[in-house]
Amino acid sequence: MLCFIVVSCNFLFSQNKQILYGFSDVPQSLLLNPAKQLDNDWYFGIPLLSHIHAKVGITGSTVYDIFADDNVNFNTKIRNAVDNMGSNDFYSVNQQLEIFSGGFSLGSSYEKDKYISFGLYQELDFIFYFPKDLAILALEGNQNNINRPFRTNQVRLAAEALSVWHVGYSKKLNDKLTVGLRGKIYSSLANVNSTKNKGRFVTVPGQSNFYDHIFDVDLEARTSGIANLDGDNVDPGREMIRRVFFGGNLGLGFDVGFTHKINKQWTFDGSLLDVGFIRHTKGIENHEIKGNYTFEGINPLFPNSGSGQSAEDYWNEIEENFEGLFEVDSTTTKYTTWRPVKLNTSLNYAFGKETFEECNCTQDEGQYLNRAGLQLFAMTRPNKPIMALTAYYYRRLFDNLQVKATYTVDSFSAYNIGLGMSANLGGLNFYVMADNFLQLENIYDTQSVSLQLGFNYIFKKKDED
Amino acid sequence: MQRQVSLYTLLTVVLFSSFFSCTKEVDFDQAEDLEISPVLETSLVFFDETVNSFLVNNLPVFIIEDAFDLDIFKNDFVVDNLIKAEFEFEGFNSIVRAFEIDVAFLDEADVELHSFTFTMQESTDGSDVPSGHIEVFENDKLTNLTSTTRITFALRMLPGTGVDQTTPGRLQLKSKAVFYLNIEG
Repeated sequence: MLCFIVVSCNFLFSQNKQILYGFSDVPQSLLLNPAKQLDNDWYFGIPLLSHIHAKVGITGSTVYDIFADDNVNFNTKIRNAVDNMGSNDFYSVNQQLEIFSGGFSLGSSYEKDKYISFGLYQELDFIFYFPKDLAILALEGNQNNINRPFRTNQVRLAAEALSVWHVGYSKKLNDKLTVGLRGKIYSSLANVNSTKNKGRFVTVPGQSNFYDHIFDVDLEARTSGIANLDGDNVDPGREMIRRVFFGGNLGLGFDVGFTHKINKQWTFDGSLLDVGFIRHTKGIENHEIKGNYTFEGINPLFPNSGSGQSAEDYWNEIEENFEGLFEVDSTTTKYTTWRPVKLNTSLNYAFGKETFEECNCTQDEGQYLNRAGLQLFAMTRPNKPIMALTAYYYRRLFDNLQVKATYTVDSFSAYNIGLGMSANLGGLNFYVMADNFLQLENIYDTQSVSLQLGFNYIFKKKDED
Repeated sequence: MQRQVSLYTLLTVVLFSSFFSCTKEVDFDQAEDLEISPVLETSLVFFDETVNSFLVNNLPVFIIEDAFDLDIFKNDFVVDNLIKAEFEFEGFNSIVRAFEIDVAFLDEADVELHSFTFTMQESTDGSDVPSGHIEVFENDKLTNLTSTTRITFALRMLPGTGVDQTTPGRLQLKSKAVFYLNIEG
């Protein structure tokens, strides 16, 4: 059972921002749930510095497993690393850079019940699954692997760079319910996509000869935005900037969310992010290798035995079979990719109001200082959805300083501890968040690290008192 | 208050950056020690024939020849990383005549770089007589192999008992090549 859970969670290519989710002191938390009411009149992100996010994740063997300076033979370590990895282990990178963002509240002067936010960010996603069978073939060859299929469906790779323009609107419907919607326009700078490969190569004992080599290969890689980058009149840098501004392959999507205040202390919220697609029509270059052939050797002395064909036909057939097998079919067929949909939901309990030192009593109208809760994150992948569960504790240390600690169980580890803080110095807001603190004692042995930080300028509502 | 917030912010940043800089000793130069040694096997030439295949107008043909072009050694990766090769032949003969196989390796100018011959002994009682040969290519012989662009095969029926359409038996041959690669980083 445990094995099953581990295996089924292994498709995780997480864009989980468990520390930022619900951290409403940071305006960028609106990108994780559009149905949050920010406690400010307006804000703007310091351009290019408002949200810097990077997440690197690997499952299976770590950099340290392979490159540790431990006097163990390097090739032994490579061998062990390959043995310890499965075809569902992967390397992944997810990076985001907010170029600009802003937001402001709307509504009557006594109750601002609407919030509009907008911005532009750039995102990079990369995932490469470990093709274990091909690694074994490269390490050992087929001699010791007769009858063992080398599955080419393990070759799975996806990479995308895109810019996202967005406008979000959140509205407090009543005291209990706030809803939000964010529209997005995607402009893909470049896309590489090879996730639906099939096939295998296997050597089996043959009838006519020692072996039959069975090739059954169906590999396809689709790319957009790369083939049109190396033209004579193209300056790649300028071209990329043009694509950020709607010049790439365009797509549409939305985020939707809600916040339900159950009572003074309990809230339940949820969001669905990046429900959308990108239509790839420009700079398309797709490559496909598809073939089926069983090679048993050649019979040059009696080429026509049995079949009655001429020697020339015999040779032509073998040649055609091999050429057909490894011939790369290039097309410019347009295609559509779906954005990975992300689901966030959380149940939160607020407690512990501020106490007054003079009377040792609590302030009735004051805000709760602590919050604890559970968050669930799920994300679609081509194979199966992935999940992460987080427990957190949030504390308002001062009016201007808030911290959050998280404990997350996901496919990278069962003990991922994250910490985040947000501080306001005058109007300037600074936040920084990172996770996997338990593993950070040796960063090379870490399977996943994520870091988010940024600066905003926040204009706070005047306090009534 | 402001000062406290500044202090905590600074502390957090220092804490974060110190965590991210924690490492144990690693040595990325080890990548240069990478050495992988795959061994690949592939089927080569085969046949399985009755005496009829050696008769034209009911008269024996004493030699059957053919050649084929070899592209694999035009690939630098193969040439640079091949450290040893073996050609292994396994035959069975239940015909009353012995056969001899000549294999010759030619370069682009059709110059013979290497050749070998092996015999498939005759069967006196109709049972399968096994034969085999392993040709190992190392050092200079390996260089000859990797310079080869064309291989010729000649199958000769050796003198002996007369044969015709009614002569029983089969001549079978299987063969494979074993390539030992050593790829260094």
